[in-house]
Amino acid sequence: MEIGKRIADIILMPIVAFVIGLFMVLMLRKIAAKLQRRVGPPFFQPLIDIIKFYSKTTQVSHGLLHDIGIIMAVGGYLAAESLLPVPGMDGLSDKGGIITLTYFLMIPSLGLALGVGQCANPNGSIGISRALTAMLAYDIPFVIVIFGVAWHYGTTDLSEMISLQQAQGWGAFEMPLLALAGLFALQGMMGKQPFEIYVAPAEIATGPMVEMGGKYMGGLFVMQCFQLYTAGVLYTTLFLGGGTHWLDFLIKIFAVVAIPMMIAFTFPRYRTEDMLRLMWKWPVLAGLLGIAFVMY
Amino acid sequence: MSDLSKIPIHTEKHAPEEARTNPLAGVFDELVRFAQSRSMYMLHYCTGCGAIELPPAMTSRFDMERLGIQPMVTPRQADILLVTGYVSVKTLKRIILTYEQMPSPKYVIGICSCTVNGGMYWQSYATAKKLSEYLPVDLYIAGCMPRPEAVIEGMRALMANIQSGETEPWKDYYQRYDYYLGNQQHLFGDNWQTPTDVIGQAQHYGLAGPETEGEHTRILQQYQQPLVAHKLRLK
Repeated sequence: MEIGKRIADIILMPIVAFVIGLFMVLMLRKIAAKLQRRVGPPFFQPLIDIIKFYSKTTQVSHGLLHDIGIIMAVGGYLAAESLLPVPGMDGLSDKGGIITLTYFLMIPSLGLALGVGQCANPNGSIGISRALTAMLAYDIPFVIVIFGVAWHYGTTDLSEMISLQQAQGWGAFEMPLLALAGLFALQGMMGKQPFEIYVAPAEIATGPMVEMGGKYMGGLFVMQCFQLYTAGVLYTTLFLGGGTHWLDFLIKIFAVVAIPMMIAFTFPRYRTEDMLRLMWKWPVLAGLLGIAFVMY
Repeated sequence: MSDLSKIPIHTEKHAPEEARTNPLAGVFDELVRFAQSRSMYMLHYCTGCGAIELPPAMTSRFDMERLGIQPMVTPRQADILLVTGYVSVKTLKRIILTYEQMPSPKYVIGICSCTVNGGMYWQSYATAKKLSEYLPVDLYIAGCMPRPEAVIEGMRALMANIQSGETEPWKDYYQRYDYYLGNQQHLFGDNWQTPTDVIGQAQHYGLAGPETEGEHTRILQQYQQPLVAHKLRLK
């Protein structure tokens, strides 16, 4: 019974994540459209885009690592989804914990770096080197936030954190500085506007994605759905008390993803070194202060 | 005047498709065609004045995204190649390179009169007159320049064509590569070559026809030099 429930969770959780992720992509594009006073895409547009990319006749592969890179990019998130507890489904969250999750969240960027490296396109190489630098920038505050939260609750188990928060109140109220730093890191993690120099469509032709067409791009679109979902759920779990049932859980994760989107489409972008400077200064400072408050 | 009925009509029959055993194959094909028609990423190759009509078509006034049309910056992800204006000989080389890198099914739209017949550059020695001699053009949007309404009308016509599955000119490029290559060689000289192996692709995807190879592809093979990676050198 226990094993059966776990296997069902592991299969169901990525599917749920993908469907919710599609809605998040839709929300992203709708917010962008509304801010620019446009109508925006139709309801099924994110799904239609993915079907279109998978139905391309020609597939241009640049070699084995190019193929494996995409599998790693999607696979890293697939593995991460089974560690994120959602209402009614815990998956492997009590076995994995937040440290394993942090490692899994780095796999997609590294996989993409492998794949893009083999494409041998200079735009792609510039893009992925910027993307990895950006990862270095937001991972420092992210790790500080994770450490602080884990210290505060005395556990690395995400489902235990949720039950503790539901008993004592949301983490965002107990650790406001860490929540702020986490929001900052979230913006970088999603690769949204102030920090999206590594895609830079007009200058380096969407950077890492420059040689991805057909099924490869379809895979990256699927990855984007998972990415938004993971960011939203992780923040909700750490600071907003998870979800008691699906309705309040969905409201929370969509609100969390909507905040960076609103900020994103009203901003131009930072250069890579400015992003590094910004990320290592303010969120790190806020995070360290937050840890000091949590510890003493 | 000559009798119109005497003009020989050459009809091509589509090769019979392999018998499909899956009962849902028709539904699936329809879904794919629907998705392809409702999600079009366009690579706008802005060669001339027509480019100025595209930003209004994409932004808040006319908003192409509500039809699923989005700008894309790299040929690998694009579905439509928009050629917006006159095509000089030098530009045409880049357009062909770009077109061959796009994954099929791919569509070409010629915007402005200049792509139809050279327009006001008819007497120019450096301008390619008819785009459809060098690339399989799906649709021309005539005008000098066509307004955003006309561009969107053209896009909708292309959507209808894709969804009905009637026109597939991108297959024509593979099936009659010799014809297109001949016209390209006429303009660029016999040593013209692109990095994309069109004949190999046509054979791999089962699109090669009797006119894929011919005298012009033989010239290509004669002059073709293997692609060598540039050496990375630091000064």
